[in-house]
Amino acid sequence: MYAIEVENLTKRFGDLIAVDHVNFTVKKGEIFAFLGPNGAGKTTTINMLTTLLKPTEGRATVAGYDVVKEPSEVRKKIGIVFQDPSLDRELTAYENMYIHGKIYGYNGIKLKERINDLLKFVELERFKDKVVKTFSGGMARRLEIARALIHEPEILFLDEPTIGLDPHTRAHIWEYIKRMKKERDMTIFLTTHYMDEADQLADRIAIIDHGKIIAEGTADELKRLIGNDVVYLKFTNGMIECIKAEFIKDCKILPDGRIELGVENASEAIPKIFELSIQKSWKILEVSYHKPTLNDVFLYLTGREIREENGESFAILKTVARRRFR
Amino acid sequence: MNAFITLAYRQLKRFTRARSRVIGSFVNPIIWLIFFGLGWSEVFNFPMARQIFGGVDYLSFLAPGIVAMTIFNSSFISGISVIWDKQFGFLKEILVAPASRKAAIVGRIVGDSLTSLFQGTVILLLMFMIADSLKVSGIPFVLLIGFMLAVAFASFGVSLALRMTSMEGFQMIMSFLMLPLLFLSGAFYPIDTMPNWMQVLAHINPLTYAVDGSRYFLLGTSKFPITTDLSVLALLSIALLGIAMYSFERATIE
Repeated sequence: MYAIEVENLTKRFGDLIAVDHVNFTVKKGEIFAFLGPNGAGKTTTINMLTTLLKPTEGRATVAGYDVVKEPSEVRKKIGIVFQDPSLDRELTAYENMYIHGKIYGYNGIKLKERINDLLKFVELERFKDKVVKTFSGGMARRLEIARALIHEPEILFLDEPTIGLDPHTRAHIWEYIKRMKKERDMTIFLTTHYMDEADQLADRIAIIDHGKIIAEGTADELKRLIGNDVVYLKFTNGMIECIKAEFIKDCKILPDGRIELGVENASEAIPKIFELSIQKSWKILEVSYHKPTLNDVFLYLTGREIREENGESFAILKTVARRRFR
Repeated sequence: MNAFITLAYRQLKRFTRARSRVIGSFVNPIIWLIFFGLGWSEVFNFPMARQIFGGVDYLSFLAPGIVAMTIFNSSFISGISVIWDKQFGFLKEILVAPASRKAAIVGRIVGDSLTSLFQGTVILLLMFMIADSLKVSGIPFVLLIGFMLAVAFASFGVSLALRMTSMEGFQMIMSFLMLPLLFLSGAFYPIDTMPNWMQVLAHINPLTYAVDGSRYFLLGTSKFPITTDLSVLALLSIALLGIAMYSFERATIE
C-alpha cells in the first residue's frame, strides 16, 4: 500500500494554476522529495495533502484517507513542519510541545516522557524552559521537528526544512531526517529547492516546475536522463585526437584543445585513462571530470537553472523573514 | 475537551508571560479614572448634578463604566489578536490538528475572557477605594456581566481577525470602533441627556447594556430593567460565540 496517492491534483487561485494535474505516489517508509524552484507549487501541494487547502480538481489520499472527505482522519496520521515558523513565540519550548501533545490527545506521564525524549532527539533539552522568541532560526526549526513527532505520525511533511539555515544546522537537520526514517520507519514527504538536499536525503525525487511534475525517479535515474559522467583531458605536445577504448562511450575535441570523454563512471575511468596514457606515452597536462548533478537535470529539462529567476530573491526574502523571527 | 482546555491554558499562560502587557492594560482605565473621573467629579460636585447621574456622585456613576471599558478593551483586543497567530503561523498548527476546531476556538475565547475578567476585577476593586456609593454585594453579578461582555467581544474580535488579511486593518478598527463604542455606552455621561441620534446608537450598542447592568448591581440604579440588560448580553454573547465557532470551523489558509 502507498502512504500517499495523488491523482490529477490541481489547485487554481483565480487565473493562476499553482498545481496542475499532478500525479504521484509515495511508498510507505520512503523519503520522497519535491524538488523545484520557489513558486513551483510545492507548498500548495503540501497544503492540499495536509488538508489546509481544498483541491480545485483531482484527488489525494494520505495514509489511506481522502484529504477532502476524511480530513480529520488524515490529520491524525500526519505531522507537519511548515516552511514558515508556527511556534508560539511567547511560550517556552516545553510549553509548545505540551500544547501540541494535549491537542493531539496525549496526557500525563506519557506526554512528559515523549516531550523529553524528543527534545533530547533534537538536542534542545537544555533549552526546554526558554521562551521560543529567544531561539535562533535553527533551534526553532529543530523544535518544530520535535513537535511534529509528538503524536507519532505515520507520515511527516517537511516544507523546505533547511531554508535559510547555516550549513552546520542543515547537516544536523539532515541527520535527524535520516534517523527518523531509519529508527521510526517513517514516511517522509519533503519539499526543497536545494539540489544537494534532495540528492542526499530522498529515495525518490519528483522535479516540479510551474505546477507540473516534469520528471520522477531516484537521483541516479534522474541523472541518467542526461547521460554520462564527463572527463576532460589536456595533453602536452599537441596530442589532440580522440582516444578509443571500450570504456569510452564518446569523445569530442573542444575548441580550446581539451578532449571531452563520455564515460559511465568518471572515478573508475580516470585510472584507466592514466594507464592508457602511460602505455602510449602521452603526457597528461590537465584532468578534470564532471558528474551530472540534479541541477544539470533541471537545466536539461527546463532550460534554466533551478535558482535563477525570482527564485533567488524569494529565498533571500525568506531568510530575512526567518531572521526577524529570531 | 482537550482542545478547549489546552487553548484556554495557552491564553492564560501567554497572559502571565507578557508582564508589560498586563501592566499596560491597567494604565488606560486608571488614567481615565483619575484624570477624567476625579477632574469632572469636582465640576459635578453640586446637588443638582446627583440628579443627572441617577442620584449618585460622578465617580460612583463612572466606576461601572470604567470596569466595563477595561473588560471590553482587553477582550476585544485579545480576540482580534488572532491576526498575530495568523502572522506568526501558530494558527496553522491549530488548523491542521485533528482536534475539534470549535472546541479550540471556544477554549481560546474563554481563556481570553478570563484574563479580561481578571483585569476588570482589579479595576473594580480599585473603584471601591475611590468611589463611595458602590455595593459590595454587586461584585459577583458584575463579574457575570463582565464575563458575558468579554465572551461577546473576544468572539467578535476573532471573527473579525479571521476575515482580515493585513495588520493595517487592526489600527483602523481600534480607532473607528473602540472609542465610539465607549462614548456611546453611557459610561461617561447618561444616555438620556445625549442628542436623539446618539441615543439611537447607544441603544444598539451592546456595551450600553453591560454598563447599565453593572450600574444596577453596584449602585442600584439603571436605565433599563435588569432583565433586559442580562438577556441582551446573554443572547449577544451566545450569538457572537456561535459566529466565531462557525468562522473558525471554515477557516482555511487561503
